[in-house]
Amino acid sequence: MTKVSTIEPVAELTDAPVKTGARLGLWLTLPAQLLVLFIALFPILMQVYISLTDWSPLDGIPWWRAHELWTGLLNYADLMADSRFWGALWRTFFVMAVCVPVQFLLGLGLAVLFVDDFRGKRVLYSTLLVPMMVVPAVAGYMFFMLFQSGGPVNDLLSLFTSDPVRIAWLSDPDLALIAVMLADIWQWTPLMFLILLAGMISVPQDQQMAAILLGASWWRRFFTIVLPRMKSIIIIALAIRVIEIFKIFDTLFIMTGGGPGVATETISVYIYKVTQQELIWSYVAAIALAILIVLSVVSVFAIKRMQRGQGT
Amino acid sequence: MSEIALENLGKTFGDFTALADMNLTIANGEFMALLGPSGCGKSTTMNIIAGMLRPSHGAIRFNGQDVVDVPMAKRGVGFVFQNYAIFTHMSVRENLAYGLRAQGAPGAEITKRVKAFAELLQLETMLDRPAAGLSVNILQRLAIGRSAILKPAIFLLDEPLSNVDAAFRAVMRSELKSLQGQFGQTMVYVTHDQLEAMTMADRIAVMDHGKLLQVGTPLDIYNNPADTFVARFIGAPGMNILDGRLIQKDDAVSVEVPGIGSVDLPPALQFAARDLNGSDVQIGFRPEQVSATGSGLTMRVGLVERIGARTIVHLEHEGIAAKAVLPADVAPPVARKDWTFTVPEDGVRLFDPVTGQALKARAH
Amino acid sequence: MASIRFENVSKSYGDVLAVDQVNFEVPDNAFFCFFGPPLSGKSTILKLILGLETPDSGEIFFDGRPMRDISPPDRNVAMVFQNLALFPHMTALENVRFPLVERKIDGATIKARVAQVTDKLHMAHILHKPPAQLSGGERQRVAIARALVRDPVAYLMDDPISALDARLREETRVELRRMQQDMAKTLIYVTHDQEEAMSVSDQMLILEAGRVRQIGAPHDLYDAPNSAYVASMLGAPAMNMADTSDAIGALSTAPDIGRGTQTIGIRPEHLKVARKNGPGRVTAIEPLGATTVLSVEAAGITWKAALRGQPDHEIGAPVELSVDAGGLHCFDAHGNALSAA
Repeated sequence: MTKVSTIEPVAELTDAPVKTGARLGLWLTLPAQLLVLFIALFPILMQVYISLTDWSPLDGIPWWRAHELWTGLLNYADLMADSRFWGALWRTFFVMAVCVPVQFLLGLGLAVLFVDDFRGKRVLYSTLLVPMMVVPAVAGYMFFMLFQSGGPVNDLLSLFTSDPVRIAWLSDPDLALIAVMLADIWQWTPLMFLILLAGMISVPQDQQMAAILLGASWWRRFFTIVLPRMKSIIIIALAIRVIEIFKIFDTLFIMTGGGPGVATETISVYIYKVTQQELIWSYVAAIALAILIVLSVVSVFAIKRMQRGQGT
Repeated sequence: MSEIALENLGKTFGDFTALADMNLTIANGEFMALLGPSGCGKSTTMNIIAGMLRPSHGAIRFNGQDVVDVPMAKRGVGFVFQNYAIFTHMSVRENLAYGLRAQGAPGAEITKRVKAFAELLQLETMLDRPAAGLSVNILQRLAIGRSAILKPAIFLLDEPLSNVDAAFRAVMRSELKSLQGQFGQTMVYVTHDQLEAMTMADRIAVMDHGKLLQVGTPLDIYNNPADTFVARFIGAPGMNILDGRLIQKDDAVSVEVPGIGSVDLPPALQFAARDLNGSDVQIGFRPEQVSATGSGLTMRVGLVERIGARTIVHLEHEGIAAKAVLPADVAPPVARKDWTFTVPEDGVRLFDPVTGQALKARAH
Repeated sequence: MASIRFENVSKSYGDVLAVDQVNFEVPDNAFFCFFGPPLSGKSTILKLILGLETPDSGEIFFDGRPMRDISPPDRNVAMVFQNLALFPHMTALENVRFPLVERKIDGATIKARVAQVTDKLHMAHILHKPPAQLSGGERQRVAIARALVRDPVAYLMDDPISALDARLREETRVELRRMQQDMAKTLIYVTHDQEEAMSVSDQMLILEAGRVRQIGAPHDLYDAPNSAYVASMLGAPAMNMADTSDAIGALSTAPDIGRGTQTIGIRPEHLKVARKNGPGRVTAIEPLGATTVLSVEAAGITWKAALRGQPDHEIGAPVELSVDAGGLHCFDAHGNALSAA
């Protein structure tokens, strides 16, 4: 119960002595803050440094002497011209563009179903959350088995055809990406569902009642009351998934190893291969920085939107 | 425009009876207040009328038509929620237009009606402001306007002033009353504050523990409460109720309150009480009818509250409490001293000490 | 026990002057009420007394002792919060004992102290109950007893009963008053409800935008406000205010006003309404039983008249307005009261 017209001003609540207290607090926590700053900043600075050289662990010189191999912006120039990098980046965005909307719509649909009570809701609810709890590596192995040419997916499809289906899911360049996306959708739709359900439950009941009494249909209520009021939480859910898909690796790597060829090679897989198989660390540093910048821009954009959303 | 009839309306939740056999007819265009303490069943009644709750038994008729099976969206009922339930993510204009849009009114019609209502409610200057952060009185106007724009036959208001500051309630009350005058709809107003009910309603239905105790105009209920609950609940402070005994001397019947004194009865009550000589009775009188002159009852003065135009005197005698309200120009009695006062004959009410029911005055 | 004195105390937050050159003295054992609209500085004054804020200038004294360097706990002032903040899982007794147990005081002393306080507040019969089973007034008692066992020099209460039902507020304010008399301690009180403020307090201090407008016994402030502002803050319905020329047009007999009068104020209970052909029209009737509030339109102004009892009036009927001899308040162009003629 808020008493709207009796709220004392913010000015009366701010506290001058607290400011001096805050300064003391800053001094006391300074060492810890510096440490945290160092931990966060050091790897980034190190990467910037290495990305400007041609250093690799096989060169036999420690990393801090990488400047002896100074190449300036050569790595970045290479990156611009690296079609495999652009392919991986494009593929990553493609997976994102397919998976995030599908997960969002499925999650939203499930949330709509689960916001009301029905029989067996709790059991179904727990079941739905299981995929999220499966270790990604295990999920990868599961889907690897499912999509074998003699595996259960083909067996299932065979029920509808006269001849047994023997699709080579994971070795066909087009189908492999679809299989990978199906696995991601299976595993991460529950998270979307969970976040969106929480958001939907927090939409005030009386506002929905008011809309019903004003004659609004279910769809109108959904689009004019429920969704607008969930704006912040939707942005959070989407941002989480966008960032996570950018880092998609474990399930995919176990299923296809990025193959066949480079057919399922996403940014993370590409970086892994360049690092572990080709050992061009300075180049990897350049890639990682480029991606960090892209991700930061996405996050800042999302956070800005979110703050604007909270204003309403 | 609509008449609402509640017939043997009841609602139970498991073993708990929230509403027991309510019979009430609310006339077309009437402002009816459902008044009672929390848990008395007033909100249950309101929610059943709106269609948010289904009654366990009984009928609700709008203009004679049973609406129990009509879903709430189709009942044509405007509802103002306790916290107004304004769509704070929209502008004032979008809030006003919401119902018309939902019902598929043509755009030109919507623009016209919204403009007309904004003028009526004096909201023209803030139509494009976001609804979040408006002051309470604007929110109240907007909540009423948002429903009224659909011209509902019936308006239901659920304690709309309970979150409003004391200083502001009077302003909101008169605004609400004048809005009802403008729209002329049947209004059902739920409140626990007798002052709100007295000042705004045409008639008041007093409820307690799921039962309807009395229905009448504010002055009816104030002057002739049906039982001790209503007597105490109406008025600020409520009616004094003291235990006493009927004494008949010759032809005159009076009430003796042990240790405090005795009060003569008006002729109509004398007649009603004639055969009850010696029996226990409860006597009721309004604190503001107490007069400092004359003799009759004597009690000890406790706290004296001087509140501007009036003075509330708290009286006590061996655990029995009573109050007197004196106008500010009468000197209040001295605290911690005995004080003798009188109650005018026509201010006396009698109640059955067991059932609490008022003893009806009877003509000869 | 303590008297609390403010001498020229000011406090600002950035550009906002929350408390401006405030002077007052709360006498020992008084029920002292701060009253004003939101933003008027009530909360800041409470914080200054508690020691949560330091004045920018001026000095605060408890019993003549300057408080500038005394920390909040050492001031020994108790605060009862708006929501009372009782522990729901403890009985009333455990709630009351809590502050002493926390301070590791020995059992016998705790027992004696608790008994002393609970006797004084007549709460023996509720000690074994948890807060959920207590009425609003009883909870108030527990909260106060919990503050009292620490033996503070004064209590502060910030709008403690505003969340209660109208009926319960009427009862609880009387309880509060009785309790304060029982415990004989300085009680500093903040409320938004003018009736509550007048009912409980020995003295009221009326604030406007961080400045003291008037200090005095409630009925003195009500009968003789020093400004139109104070006059308008007390009384329900509020005092009628009108420009002198409008008032002359509306009243049947020309009011006898002092020189320099700009605005005339008349309390609703001092306005007489006669059913005869006059310049007024009845526009609304609010029958409250004990009184009847009429709205009368005259000379372009809506006047409120509070009539005793249930007089017979009709909406739209012409009426004549007049005023009691002593019922006239005159204010100059700055809103300051002139001595009534």
